[in-house]
Amino acid sequence: MSAVSGFIVVNPFASRRTENKWVLPVSLMALLTGFMTSLAWIGNDQKNLRLKYLDPELRSRYSEGTLDLGKDNETLRNEMTMLRDENTKFQNAVAKNSNASASLNKSLQEQKLFSALTEVEGPGVVVKLKDVLIRGPDQAASMVQIIHDTDVVLVVNELKNTGAEAISVNNRRVGPNTNFRCVGTTILVDEVKIASPVIIRAIGDSDTLFGGMNLPGGILDKIRETDANMIEIEPVQKMRIPAFSGAMSFKFAKVPEDKK
Amino acid sequence: MIYIPIVALILGVVLGFLIKVPVTGIAGVYMGVAVIAGLDSVFGGLRSAIEGKFRSDVFMTGFVANIVIAFFLAWFGDRIGVNVYFVAILVMGSRIFTNLSLIRRQMLTKWHDVRERKRLDSEMKAQQSDGEGSAQQTITS
Repeated sequence: MSAVSGFIVVNPFASRRTENKWVLPVSLMALLTGFMTSLAWIGNDQKNLRLKYLDPELRSRYSEGTLDLGKDNETLRNEMTMLRDENTKFQNAVAKNSNASASLNKSLQEQKLFSALTEVEGPGVVVKLKDVLIRGPDQAASMVQIIHDTDVVLVVNELKNTGAEAISVNNRRVGPNTNFRCVGTTILVDEVKIASPVIIRAIGDSDTLFGGMNLPGGILDKIRETDANMIEIEPVQKMRIPAFSGAMSFKFAKVPEDKK
Repeated sequence: MIYIPIVALILGVVLGFLIKVPVTGIAGVYMGVAVIAGLDSVFGGLRSAIEGKFRSDVFMTGFVANIVIAFFLAWFGDRIGVNVYFVAILVMGSRIFTNLSLIRRQMLTKWHDVRERKRLDSEMKAQQSDGEGSAQQTITS
């Protein structure tokens, strides 16, 4: 034993040893810092409340992070489409049983048609929006050479205004609560990523739609001011537009029970 | 010893997630800056502990003051429309880097020391085993 303690005194590195009085305060403060970290952490539940205070760049990175969830949504969407088709078949089958239910089903199908829940077919136009591929060195000019979410919104709006009855954007049906949003380099249509070229199909009277969309001063005309190649529009005799596959659940809106 | 604060840090994170007090809006940004200040203090404390210069009064006041100042700067910067909190983050972030690199160096030195000590130990053992058998018994135990 004496040999060991004698050895430590001789040990030239013994002076580097410190007392441990720091462990408790540093650990306590580390605990507190860790606690604060998880408070400052941007979680899913308070993300929307935090996002608007972040840098635009950081914000879009966060939004892109949630796009992986969009992939999960994709499978759910397909399942939903399948179930809705089955539902339609079921309703049709029930309708065969009696006349009363036949008329009921007819109105039901009309409702579904109106709320974009069925696949539709008919004449119309196809509008293609494309980015300008060869860009100049001018940054300000290149901003307008890109198709933005606002362009898509405006074109869809103008198509509706011109009498389109069913619209799809890159084969996604525009439903009652469809929205378009810009995230980084892509546009989100109901949380699904799309990019240039954006192909918008609209069913309606193809001549009216074609003429109306080409109206001078319209949105297509404005985009053409930048570059005529950004827009392609052609009438189509017959095409199909898929059913709306987005989520539809009402949490707040209810049908009032008492009627005025 | 140095692992205890790091474990405490992780424990704190877990605790925070379990308790879940949502910090929303702009307070979240201030809280983020305060976290950087806290990390800066903790690593500063670790470094001074390793260097043997730790003073708990300096550490505690530094911790509180850093966090308060960082929080205040972030808030104040927002009031006057200047992103002052960038400065706070820049200074404290670079200090975290410096402290961590110093901690790493110190730990490397310690590791080398331990190796050197072991080498000396075995040399000594070899010398003693030449002579008396009983002394060797004490050392190995």
